Amino acid sequence: MIRSLRLPLAVTLLATAMGAHADGIRTAPMLAHTCAGCHGTNGASAGEFMPSIAGMDKGYLYSVMSDYKSGMRPSTIMGRIMKGYTEREIWAIAGFFAAQPWTSTDRVASAKAVHQGQAIHDRLCESCHDDGGREQDDESPRLAGQWAGYTRYVLDVCRSQGERCRPPKMGTRVKALSDAEIQALASFYESEK
Amino acid sequence: MSGITRRTFLQASGAVAAASALGLPTLSQGAESKARVVVIGGGYGGTIAAKYIRMADPSVRVTLIEKETSYISCPLSNEVLSGERDLASLTFNYRGLGKRGITVVRDEVVGIDPEKRVVKGKGKGGYPYDRLVISPGISFRWDAIRGMSEAATETIPHAWKAGPQTTLLQKQLKAMRNGGVCIIVAPPNPFRCPPGPYERAAQIALYLKHHKPKSKVLILDAKDAFSKQALFVEGWKRNYGDMIEWVSAAAGGAVEAIDPKKRVLTGSVEEFKGDVVNLIPAQKAGALAEIAGLTDASGWCPVDQQTFESKLHKDIYVIGDAAIAGALPKSGYAANTQAKVCAAAIVAALNGQPAPEPSYVNTCYSIIAPDYGISVAGVYQLKDGKIIDVPGAGGLSPANADARTRAIEVQFALGWFRNITADMFS
Repeated sequence: MIRSLRLPLAVTLLATAMGAHADGIRTAPMLAHTCAGCHGTNGASAGEFMPSIAGMDKGYLYSVMSDYKSGMRPSTIMGRIMKGYTEREIWAIAGFFAAQPWTSTDRVASAKAVHQGQAIHDRLCESCHDDGGREQDDESPRLAGQWAGYTRYVLDVCRSQGERCRPPKMGTRVKALSDAEIQALASFYESEK
Repeated sequence: MSGITRRTFLQASGAVAAASALGLPTLSQGAESKARVVVIGGGYGGTIAAKYIRMADPSVRVTLIEKETSYISCPLSNEVLSGERDLASLTFNYRGLGKRGITVVRDEVVGIDPEKRVVKGKGKGGYPYDRLVISPGISFRWDAIRGMSEAATETIPHAWKAGPQTTLLQKQLKAMRNGGVCIIVAPPNPFRCPPGPYERAAQIALYLKHHKPKSKVLILDAKDAFSKQALFVEGWKRNYGDMIEWVSAAAGGAVEAIDPKKRVLTGSVEEFKGDVVNLIPAQKAGALAEIAGLTDASGWCPVDQQTFESKLHKDIYVIGDAAIAGALPKSGYAANTQAKVCAAAIVAALNGQPAPEPSYVNTCYSIIAPDYGISVAGVYQLKDGKIIDVPGAGGLSPANADARTRAIEVQFALGWFRNITADMFS
């Protein structure tokens, strides 16, 4: 919870330091609507490998986007894009998407994958991702109802990073998972609506 | 063109009440006389302008005029040439926009009267507007290459508007002999989809590699450089060896004339003969822009880059490929981002407010092989009235990236397509 205390302060300082960017202040909808081409209208994604970001925790969205910008979080394209925004703008974008309703995918997985995924979840993930991944805060994103393709991709990247994955305790746990286990876990979360 | 539905009316009344509560000036007392916006063209730009105006202010009456009943996406249509997908997977209808309270009319616009503010269609009567948005796409400059004409596209397809032309090119490739040469003539700048001809070369090579491996793809270019060039060259080599050859303008790639019957092209240095010739002509703004007097000497439409209002006609806005939009390329994503900036500016104007500070993004994926994708991204801002890159942002996929990066970029390309088309049609 330390992170949520430092956010507004960091935003205030950076906003002051980085004053002149565009000619004027850009509103949250103006900034956030540009994301819809890849993340869907208002952040509810229709594509397997793009996460739904509508209804995600504001602090979580802020730190993920900031980490893309700094390069702390690896990405193919998000790092390039987030470098175009000030910290104040990132905070505004996070607020816009956090205020949208969450939309789960309408897909369900096979019973076998769900059972296998649930067992892994109970053993390794439940301590931070409560209630089948429905609970969320500024450090733990909502996983329930998220596209399995995206969750699988993130777990795959985290596994290859090992201890460099953030948070490191997640890296340690994911490192031991097989491809099939990652797939089952991702399918389980997608089935939790 | 039925009258206002009960649902639309209720939304409209609600918005008027909300606007009053916020202290915004309302245009009238009732929904009947609220502002009318007409949007012409139901593609990557027009659909988004119509939808986002309604999202920002449901009291505005929006009519979208489109001459076709369905839309076929140009982005991803190169995959039809390789056989990775069919045109049906790129085809969309307008029912989703109807559900958003937008009146969608099938009609062909024949003229615009900017004084009376009326759009004239082929159907009976006109479409009066307070603000008009046009997203007319591109048209071709047939005079740029001697011997080329619209009629010649029956044998020399451009396939630069997805549909029957795409199918024709695909058929010609299927009929081509193993060991044949497919020539792509790439157009001069500026043109729709800057990476498109080079992605097309890869998708054609994908088909040839599996079905006619002795064949070649030869790109004759009017330019000496192109979008994502180093990444394309690396990707072509890695996936198709020496199958694709690019000839720059300086090396004799600039085509001056064509004999469409013999499929012979005259370059500045030598002649080329193709078994299949895909000539992508030089381009200008869509025909409607020219008819409406919205183009300048360049053939494109000068606009205020903060609002996309035409510099030539008040209350008419031009978005998409036809607009002169600073650093933004002529891409589907750019049309989407322009449409949103334009929608916000129109809603502000209709409510008596100044145009908001704009934000623009572009992302273009190119699929070189089913597990090999690359991208370019840009973030843009308005500076002194011009759209410019935000310094330090955007750029290309890394060179010599690992296989996993190239593979996931294909998945992101497909996800992009799902989302941008959902943004347009639902």
